[in-house]
Amino acid sequence: MQKTKALYLSAVMALGVLATAAFAQEKPVAGEVKEGSLKGKTLTFVSYGGIYQDGQAAALKEFVDKSGVKLLNDGPTEIAKLQAQVESGNVTWDVVDTDDLPPYVYCGKLFQKLDLTKLDVSKIPEGQVGECSVPAMNYGVVLMYNKEKYKDNPPKSWADFFDTAKFPGVRGIDGSGSPTGGLLEQALKVAGGDPKAMTVADIDKAIDVVRKLGPDTIFWKTGAESQQLAESGEADMLMMWTGRAMTAVKNGAKYAPAWQDWLVVMDQMTIPVGVKDTDASYALLNAYLGKHAQEVLAEQTSYTPINSDAQPKVDASVSAFLTNTPERQKQGYKQNFKFWVPNFAVAQEKWSALMAGN
Amino acid sequence: MSALEPTTPSVPKRGWLSRPFALTLPALILLAAVIGYPLLTIVLRSLSEPQWGVQNYLWFFGAPVNLTVLQRTFVISAWVTIVCVVCAYPYAYLMTAVGPRARLVLVLCVLIPFWVSGVVRTLSWVILLQDSGVINSLLRAAGFDSIRLIRTQTGVVIGMAQVLLPFMILPLYSVMKGIDLRLMRAAQSLGARPSRAFFTVYLPLSLPGVYAGAIIVFILALGFYITPALLGGPRSTMLSTLVQTQVLSLLQWGRGGAMGVVLLVTTFVLLALAAPVMRSRYREAGRR
Repeated sequence: MQKTKALYLSAVMALGVLATAAFAQEKPVAGEVKEGSLKGKTLTFVSYGGIYQDGQAAALKEFVDKSGVKLLNDGPTEIAKLQAQVESGNVTWDVVDTDDLPPYVYCGKLFQKLDLTKLDVSKIPEGQVGECSVPAMNYGVVLMYNKEKYKDNPPKSWADFFDTAKFPGVRGIDGSGSPTGGLLEQALKVAGGDPKAMTVADIDKAIDVVRKLGPDTIFWKTGAESQQLAESGEADMLMMWTGRAMTAVKNGAKYAPAWQDWLVVMDQMTIPVGVKDTDASYALLNAYLGKHAQEVLAEQTSYTPINSDAQPKVDASVSAFLTNTPERQKQGYKQNFKFWVPNFAVAQEKWSALMAGN
Repeated sequence: MSALEPTTPSVPKRGWLSRPFALTLPALILLAAVIGYPLLTIVLRSLSEPQWGVQNYLWFFGAPVNLTVLQRTFVISAWVTIVCVVCAYPYAYLMTAVGPRARLVLVLCVLIPFWVSGVVRTLSWVILLQDSGVINSLLRAAGFDSIRLIRTQTGVVIGMAQVLLPFMILPLYSVMKGIDLRLMRAAQSLGARPSRAFFTVYLPLSLPGVYAGAIIVFILALGFYITPALLGGPRSTMLSTLVQTQVLSLLQWGRGGAMGVVLLVTTFVLLALAAPVMRSRYREAGRR
């Protein structure tokens, strides 16, 4: 008798739990999190530091306050470190901000395939949600030139950037690690190739064009260094991230952007394979995608929000470098993503050889 | 060698603790744990990733860029060593020749930069050496053409030599302060010109210090990472930067390991070749 009663009771309880679970499965809304839902939990967010991660932390403040989670910041993102964590089965990075390509190259290996029922991706611009990633923000790589050096005859395109006969002067290129696909495609065009039908042999052709810029070419290692090069006037033409270009100009660098074919790039938000609490990571991602969070991020960094409802209030110096205006959208150049994902390693290897002076 | 080696009087056997070996045990355990074990792992990974075999080594010697950079690493380190010897020798000599108060100042001048992080010192060199930097501004103000210093091998050598200078001065000083300066006077009283006295008496006696300092500087220079990365350009990339790319960007830990092993073995071979020369000079110096 006693036994049946206990069984009956547990059955009712199980039903109740199921019902709550079903109730909890309601559609997530970007930017929202349940009050106190992550109390006592800790999440580690990994990104690239500087003004960027400060802005991201500010964007996540509301999420932290509401959910009660303890948020730790770490960085910079290094895929090798993440690989070590995944291999040893001790993953301490819960949400990771990466470059453009890694989530596609290591999807399912280092980064979880995302369950889109746990995220509200309805406000993300089209075509930006990957199998293993959602965008972290949009930005650009832009050609900045020294106004005093080129005066009335400024460079207008990447073709001018690679033309040292018509535009003499020192060039500065992103040497922070991975090659920038878009830049190599622009170089390939100079060599007469077609980026749309790119082959592995074309990588060499493109790199040759970069090499021909000569021994004075500067390969900057960090965004801060590129900024320093502009502010001190070391380079005459610089390939720069828009946020850093904005800050350099704000700090008095006499440089101007040539927007034609600015390279469209984005950072990615990912959840590594093997995190301790996947749902907590999803909650952070979902909060990050919210309208308000994205507004805060844009206001602090000049990077373009990835929530189409976001209306950041920015001053003129920042808005000059926003890349989501209709005009900029028309001028942007998108890299041949399909080519770079499978050829990431080989491109990286050839690029490193260039970096090492070969 | 034997002439200089301290002879330890035989200790009566009182127990295992009194033996020098037992006393070095903590250091040995530490070395095994933090140097030996990781080194072994690196060697193993260089032979086992992605599969067992010597493919990583074949790759290393098959890619021209690696050989160029390996050679460059040794050339830059050699230049740094030479610059350090040339700068440190007179300085260390001066330290032995002056009075105690001036010596204190000289020692502090060596040690204070030594206590400042290498990164900070390298960044200061960036400010000094860059095209719009202090040195070039002064040159232009004086009516000269500016010269390119940053992102060249010269710039890297200057920066590295400054960072490594204390490692040359200190061993040199410790040897030089043991040289009896009256020997020089004795040589001169026997008719030697000062230069002759220096080259036949003082220099040989100070050589052990030069060797000790040179070996420390050379080996430290081989593994330099920050300074060449910040002061150098593509044409002054050193092997450590390539290792970093393989390990952190390409996730090729086997290849990175192989590069490390090649650098280590090449260094050992060079030292083994240099050792007999040094030993004979050392012995000579000891005899005099």
